[in-house]
Amino acid sequence: MSEPHEILEVSGLSVDYVLPQGEIRAVDDVSFTVDRGEFLGIVGESGCGKSTLLFAVAQLLAPPAQLAAGTVKFKGTNLVGLTDRQLSAIRWCDLSVVMQSAMNALNPVKSIGAQFKDALQAHGKPSKQEIATRSAEVMRMVGIDPVHLKSYPHQLSGGMRQRSMIAMAMLFTPDLVIMDEPTSALDVVAQRALMVQIKELQQTYGFAVIFVTHDMSLISHFSDRLMVMYAGQIDELGATRTIFDRPLHPYTQGLLEAFPSIHGPRVPLRGIPGNPPDLAAIPAGCRFHPRCPHAVERCAVIAPDLYPVDGDLVRCLRRQDGSLPDDPGARVAKAGA
Amino acid sequence: MTELLRAEHLTRHFKIGGVTSRRSLHAVDDVSFSIGEREIVALAGESGSGKSTIARVLARVYKPTSGEVYFEGKPLSAIRSRRDGLRYSSLVPMVFQDPFASINPVFRVQHGILRILKLHRPELPAKQRQQEAARVFGVVGLGTDMLQRFPYELSGGQRQRVGFAQALAMRPKLILADEPVSMLDVSIRIGLLNLMVKLRDEEGVSVLYITHDIASARYVADRLIVMYAGQIAESGPIEDVLTTPKHPYTQLLLSAVPDPQAPLSQVVDRGEPPKVVDPVPGCRFRWRCPLAIDTCAQVTPVLAELRAGHEVACHVAQTGADVRAFAS
Repeated sequence: MSEPHEILEVSGLSVDYVLPQGEIRAVDDVSFTVDRGEFLGIVGESGCGKSTLLFAVAQLLAPPAQLAAGTVKFKGTNLVGLTDRQLSAIRWCDLSVVMQSAMNALNPVKSIGAQFKDALQAHGKPSKQEIATRSAEVMRMVGIDPVHLKSYPHQLSGGMRQRSMIAMAMLFTPDLVIMDEPTSALDVVAQRALMVQIKELQQTYGFAVIFVTHDMSLISHFSDRLMVMYAGQIDELGATRTIFDRPLHPYTQGLLEAFPSIHGPRVPLRGIPGNPPDLAAIPAGCRFHPRCPHAVERCAVIAPDLYPVDGDLVRCLRRQDGSLPDDPGARVAKAGA
Repeated sequence: MTELLRAEHLTRHFKIGGVTSRRSLHAVDDVSFSIGEREIVALAGESGSGKSTIARVLARVYKPTSGEVYFEGKPLSAIRSRRDGLRYSSLVPMVFQDPFASINPVFRVQHGILRILKLHRPELPAKQRQQEAARVFGVVGLGTDMLQRFPYELSGGQRQRVGFAQALAMRPKLILADEPVSMLDVSIRIGLLNLMVKLRDEEGVSVLYITHDIASARYVADRLIVMYAGQIAESGPIEDVLTTPKHPYTQLLLSAVPDPQAPLSQVVDRGEPPKVVDPVPGCRFRWRCPLAIDTCAQVTPVLAELRAGHEVACHVAQTGADVRAFAS
């Protein structure tokens, strides 16, 4: 289990995209904490702000995106407002990021080993011997033969590229690793192997993970807590198992019901009607109300807060006052398992 | 069930390397299968297993290196004239993976559909073309007002519905759908899958559903074909294959499907699919297979029927042994 103290504390974080036609708020007042050694999953559809949120946490936002409000406290230091020099001391050593597409994130004209060397030399003056030892070590950690340090990215398969990205993130055994859909380009077998690998590493070295994905079922067995995002806001935040067994927000329920299962009876699924909102024209009131099967009049008027319900946080007016009927669909899906 | 399309010993190789190179990539090797009328057949396998190559051969984008495809009993190689070619591509249209790249962005959505109608159904007068466009939009669940929109005004799910509407406008018998939902958001996917079922049930169209997502295949398909490294590993009625998978690769694939409601399976396989360049005989899965026997390294297994309609290309399974390579 995770230790009680927090390693990351994000509060009131908002990110705007400043465009000629106006400002678009992609992340709106997001607050959460990550404990030491915890695995936090962030799920949501495209355009819900999950990647923007990660970039904001890692202080990697580039124009037109800009931080509008909020603080990111990492091990007690507020990262917001730090200079580049101060940030680079923290980055890689204490906090590393694994990007979505290894093919784009690795330098195609440098061998894997040379890229490891760059990272190591940026944070100290290691000897040749130290570089070789540490590079081989991290490659073995992710299950790749160190001979591939001489390989160029194109010589490796997609799974190996992604694993060497993770190896690179492990060079300094950081306290927090941020991962942005690291498995989305892989097929299911490789995806599964990578998830098991990440979890093993995490348990061995005790770092915390923030894992962003659009595929809820992927992290169901791996994350400790789950954060569901919709239209730039947190919709639901709670223990992973609880959310899967008893989703409280209608959007979370809909997402869970949108996955067909390979077990149990073949039941017709509904998915979620409508489309994710355009962030330039966010619906008034609850942002999910136009697609919500349980929406009532006040949902279109009152913007809900995150309310504590049964130990979780849920952004739903009707869940807060207890007027939301228990969704029979979720029960069916569970009974089928 | 009446047979609509049959592929016999379909093979497609690609020459790789320089001009003098004799190496060839065996993208599809000796693949035989059939698709019936009103049937959704799922073609599953990892990237590089030859799924899309099969779709392109069926769409006549590639000519097969050897083997033949019969559509309604007639071989595709006999299609010579432009008219026959047009007729075939209107009966067997394709729906593409990326709905953002497959619609011309500078025209209104109706442009594509009306052109298709003009080309493939020239007998329709202009007014009826409009009516027909409105009808197919209705079938795929889009309002007629959508016809006047530009692609950028549509969401990914709506664009993919336009893709299906375009296919449907040709009055097809078989739609080749290459990963039609993999680029869409989770909440939108089910709607498209339901649409494929509706097309089968109400319009009598067959679909070749190419996917790497077994769970969605199970949701829509009648039959499943599992490919590995350019060959068919296993095929059969989908429930049959999923409940009693006989090929070790199918078992591995099923054990890796994430399922929040099932306990985490303990199977770990870090193997990689082989690159099928000038392959030697033998089973292509043998390097990853815990059950491989000597025969597997010498003889390429061929598909054999183990139960009604359920075929497996595995030496071990064909001996009648209870294959349990990877528990799911």
